[in-house]
Amino acid sequence: MAEQKHEPKIAAFLCRWCAYAGADLAGTNRVTYPPNMIPIRVPCSGRVEPSWVIEALREGADAVLIGGCHPGDCHYVSGNYKTRRRVALLQKVLEELGVEPARLKLTWVSASEGMRFAQVVRDYVEEVRSLGPYRGQFGAPQELHEVEENGGQVVREAVSHG
Amino acid sequence: MAKPRIAMYWTGGCGGCDVSPLEVGEAIVDVLSGVEIVFWPALMDAKRAHVEALPAGSIDAVLINGALRTEENMEMVRLLREKAKLIVAYGACAHLGGIIGLGNLHSAQSLVDTALGEDWQASAPVPGANGDAPPALTAGVVPLSDAITVDYVVPGCPPPAQLIGQFFRGLLEGYMPDVGHVFAEEKALCDQCPREKEDRPIERFVRPHEIEPDPDKCLLDQGVVCMGPVTRGGCEAACPKLGMPCTGCVGPTRKAGDLAGGMISALASLVRAGEEGEDVFAQEDEILDGLVDTVGTLYKYALAGTWKRGSGGGGK
Ligand code: SF4
Ligand code: SF4
Ligand code: FES
Repeated sequence: MAEQKHEPKIAAFLCRWCAYAGADLAGTNRVTYPPNMIPIRVPCSGRVEPSWVIEALREGADAVLIGGCHPGDCHYVSGNYKTRRRVALLQKVLEELGVEPARLKLTWVSASEGMRFAQVVRDYVEEVRSLGPYRGQFGAPQELHEVEENGGQVVREAVSHG
Repeated sequence: MAKPRIAMYWTGGCGGCDVSPLEVGEAIVDVLSGVEIVFWPALMDAKRAHVEALPAGSIDAVLINGALRTEENMEMVRLLREKAKLIVAYGACAHLGGIIGLGNLHSAQSLVDTALGEDWQASAPVPGANGDAPPALTAGVVPLSDAITVDYVVPGCPPPAQLIGQFFRGLLEGYMPDVGHVFAEEKALCDQCPREKEDRPIERFVRPHEIEPDPDKCLLDQGVVCMGPVTRGGCEAACPKLGMPCTGCVGPTRKAGDLAGGMISALASLVRAGEEGEDVFAQEDEILDGLVDTVGTLYKYALAGTWKRGSGGGGK
């Protein structure tokens, strides 16, 4: 099969009050951004469970974007502060696992920042593209190449992500 | 009623699970006289050929401990699945990948290189192993349920006496819960822990050896990462009672879903929020940076069950 340009897949959890509304605004203003992002509306960025981020990466996303209200603007007062602490911890775990922490990004976008939202997505898609696909490579960084080559076939055939 | 015919098999484990049934104390007499043991390599001499010769479905319950690490592990558990009416994942390794699953932080090749030296050849006999070549390692460790259908789980590292007792009582009395049951509490371990929990904000993370913990207060309140809030009860808080944090061996509650994910969410809420007016994020990061060895702490038992080596999806 010919080597195709890798199109990153980004799962995006967007707060309905801000980032999701910002995405909507980008749409009504006909501002375009790449279709690599799969938006998932959440009531507040603080609703995003760390296990969802892990699951998204495990189930085929190359990266996860979380969009919340600017600090001080969360409708539930401090949901976005909690999210930031969760993201900081998740990135620590990713780094120790040998997965690039940049595969998880937290951004603040208000409902009026349609242009900014589009720009954030454009920039992040490029950043993730440069990281390459995520195919479950983790572990000591110097060994990653080998893992990709082995592809994990032996266990793969028996794996069911029930 | 005929005695239930049982088997116990070990895959990639440490042997702890094999001796753990003795934990039940004198009740072991009832257990051993109540069952017929068909196959249990740690106890008696029986070979694979014996198992192969058995009719399909002729063993009532096969308890399997250890994670799946070699091609031979894979073949044996598939064979046992065929011969068993019920398969029990026994212990954290079979349940979640366990300590053995931490091997997934390294490639199979680098593990072999480290253990046997880089000059060693895959087909060569292992030094001191009767001239036998070892079975090939699989690319990554997986828990039992990744290879075969598992009917019950007796969790723990190794399973605590209470849970072993529950399982054998059910088996001997012919009263088993619905298939899929995990022999542990639905509620988190904190519920069984006598330590007083105040949900105090964490100002600083400490490792267990760094403090002499207050004997009556919750360890998490004292800054020690205790997995109690996300781990199933069942061990009656054996570790916290002794001043050591829970490390999650019984596995996640249904609510937590995932040990590390659930714990990250708990810790993010417990860390003292930064004070307004100063750099809030920097204050919080300083506390969060004090959490070391996050993988070894949050994924001590569930790494292999959660992060599949080389099997992530990625854009097609
Ligand atoms: S679950 Fe614990 S006791 Fe059992 S084999 Fe694994 S490491 Fe050993
Ligand atoms: S010490 Fe651990 S198990 Fe006990 S209450 Fe605190 S967090 Fe829960
Ligand atoms: S309401 Fe938007 S981040 Fe909380």
